[in-house]
Amino acid sequence: MSDSVIQLNHVTKRFSGHTAVKDLSLSVPRGEVFGLLGPNGAGKTTTIRMIMNIIRPDEGQVTLFGGAGTGRELSDRIGFLPEERGLYPKMKVAAMLAFLGEIKGLAHRDAMARGRRWLERLGLGAWMEKRVEDLSKGMQQKVQFIGTLMHDPELVILDEPFSGLDPVNSQAMKDVVVEFARGGKTVLFSTHIMEQAERMCDHIVIIARGEKVVDGKLADIKAESGRGHLAMSFSNNRQAATPVLQDRRLIAHVDDYGAAAEAELASGADPGEVLRALVQAGVGLSRFEIVEPSLQSIFIAKVGPGAATAPAQETVHA
Amino acid sequence: MHKLLAVIRREFLTRVRTRTFVIGTFLGPVLIGGLMLLPAYFAGRQAGNRVLVILDEGSNGFADRVAQTLLLMGEGQFETSVVAAEGRDSVVLDSLIAITDPKAERVAGIDGILVIPANATTRDSIRYLGDNVSSLSEMRSIRNAVTQVIRAERLAQAGVDARVVAEANRPISFTTEKVTNGTLTGESGEASFALAYSMSFILYLALLLYGVQIVSAVIEEKSTRINEVLISSLKPFQLLLGKILGVGSAGLLQLGIWTGTAMVLTTYRTEVAGLLGIPAQTVVGLQLPTVSPALMIVLLLFFFLGFFLYASAYGAVGAMCNSVQESQQAAMPITMLIVVSFISVFSLLNDPNGTLARVMSLIPFSAPLVVPVRYSLSPLPPLELLAAIVCTILGVLAVAWVAGRIYRVGILMHGKKAKLGEVIRWVREG
Repeated sequence: MSDSVIQLNHVTKRFSGHTAVKDLSLSVPRGEVFGLLGPNGAGKTTTIRMIMNIIRPDEGQVTLFGGAGTGRELSDRIGFLPEERGLYPKMKVAAMLAFLGEIKGLAHRDAMARGRRWLERLGLGAWMEKRVEDLSKGMQQKVQFIGTLMHDPELVILDEPFSGLDPVNSQAMKDVVVEFARGGKTVLFSTHIMEQAERMCDHIVIIARGEKVVDGKLADIKAESGRGHLAMSFSNNRQAATPVLQDRRLIAHVDDYGAAAEAELASGADPGEVLRALVQAGVGLSRFEIVEPSLQSIFIAKVGPGAATAPAQETVHA
Repeated sequence: MHKLLAVIRREFLTRVRTRTFVIGTFLGPVLIGGLMLLPAYFAGRQAGNRVLVILDEGSNGFADRVAQTLLLMGEGQFETSVVAAEGRDSVVLDSLIAITDPKAERVAGIDGILVIPANATTRDSIRYLGDNVSSLSEMRSIRNAVTQVIRAERLAQAGVDARVVAEANRPISFTTEKVTNGTLTGESGEASFALAYSMSFILYLALLLYGVQIVSAVIEEKSTRINEVLISSLKPFQLLLGKILGVGSAGLLQLGIWTGTAMVLTTYRTEVAGLLGIPAQTVVGLQLPTVSPALMIVLLLFFFLGFFLYASAYGAVGAMCNSVQESQQAAMPITMLIVVSFISVFSLLNDPNGTLARVMSLIPFSAPLVVPVRYSLSPLPPLELLAAIVCTILGVLAVAWVAGRIYRVGILMHGKKAKLGEVIRWVREG
């Protein structure tokens, strides 16, 4: 138990119309980067809100740090970036951060100093005495990010941390998260962008329609579903490849990106056979590789295209 | 506690630094000063300026006596001259009226004409013509002077000695002193009532001014979407309490500055008036009362209980709404409760220990406005006072509990307005 920072036991949450989270159990090990993945409306935010004790589960229990208390009681040890970002627009940046630090238990002076250091570090040093509303959206996100991490929490929970960020800012935030994880901290973040999860996570859980469909170490999941995945890139005569890729005796499933494709071999098929067929068809190949499946393809295979359509808008009730 | 202080400080500083607060704080004293000094300023300008012509239609020296009395009683407010009509009453009157026209050549600069007929003592009314007939105090002075002279004349005609008449006319002033629980407190009854009433008025003002700010502070949190960060670190009740105390202390500061300036202005009103060149004795003064410690405790206790009660209710309203427009409608019932309670205070003045007064002292929503005024009029029996305090505290706790529950759920609501049924469910289910 002591090695599990967050433990969910058969947690269910229903809203007036539908079940947002259904009998969900998961365990976040200490010191790992944990990805909570799922399409829009799968119940990621609801799950995180239950972890933070913002809303209560109808059934089941949430245990944090082996039962030390609820999310709010332990909030000084947790950094939480909610899906709904928000700052006081009229406050000065430094004062805003000092306040965010203080409600996490820091002393005013300490919070002020930490905020200043972080702002310098993320290139916002010149904006300290500006009002929050004068900052660009990206800068505001950074400020919020600092507010989440400045009290040096043991556990960081980030709900869609990279949404709405440009690649440069996204990179900067990612670096900070990775550094946190390297320092032995536990990170849980939710996303529906698979590439990010793939690069950062040790452990993932995929949920769809409130139910868990995948749970495990990323490496294990890939190895498990990774018998015979092919990655191809085409240099010319792309259209000639289509009949080969649609041959169900060779290929079970294909993610076609146009100039590239990822395919899962049909059971019993031989990769050499596929290559031969492609060459015979006159397809110009710049890449042909037997690979582990991408998280994206695992996700789509497990969740199915139907899950991409979100159910009714989530609303909060007691 | 540390977190609560952080919320209070943020709320306080944010409010105090707004332009509205600074301007409002500065304008208050200006307004108070204006209210005290302006009437005096205008009165001062007119003092000694009133030129009255007394038109004597053959009254045998009666008009002269009226002129003397007016000079004596008016303390230099009136200048008088007596004009004999010599039988041509209407012609003289018309010409006098003509020269009151400021556009006409003002030979004498006449403000008004008092017509004393030959048979003044047997008449029921005396005519006065002038451009100052709407000035109540001037009309009272003139009427008093005429009445006094006519009364003396009537008594003299009935054979009463002039000295007896003078003695009978000597004015009586009236002083009041208050007896509390069988001892003479030395307070002036009017003064302590005025204090309790103005405290009740200040509470009324504070509730309306700052209560609404709590609504908008809660809505701001929703519209900026910061609430989720706050609610994951703070207990909803902590947050609501911090808001109430933060807005409350900013309000208290503003009220303190206003009250302080009002007191300073009152104490040094003659000096201030002197600086502005206004005759000091004409400045409207507020008597600063000496207040018994018991009344002060009752005042402050109910002031804070009342503020807390209504502020919590306003906080809950804010949590139910998504926009300021929406909240104005939703806050109406609470605002009505305040207004009705305040107006009801007037009806208690004549019967401070009647059934209505007793009942209203036990209702938490009206007690904060009613009890201090009642107490200043005649102290409540200890048991009744205790009952009022207990009821109000229970009311505050109940409202805070309900508000906390509404707040906890409501603050995370976005987009749609909560229906009454939903709100009741939030409170029931917590």
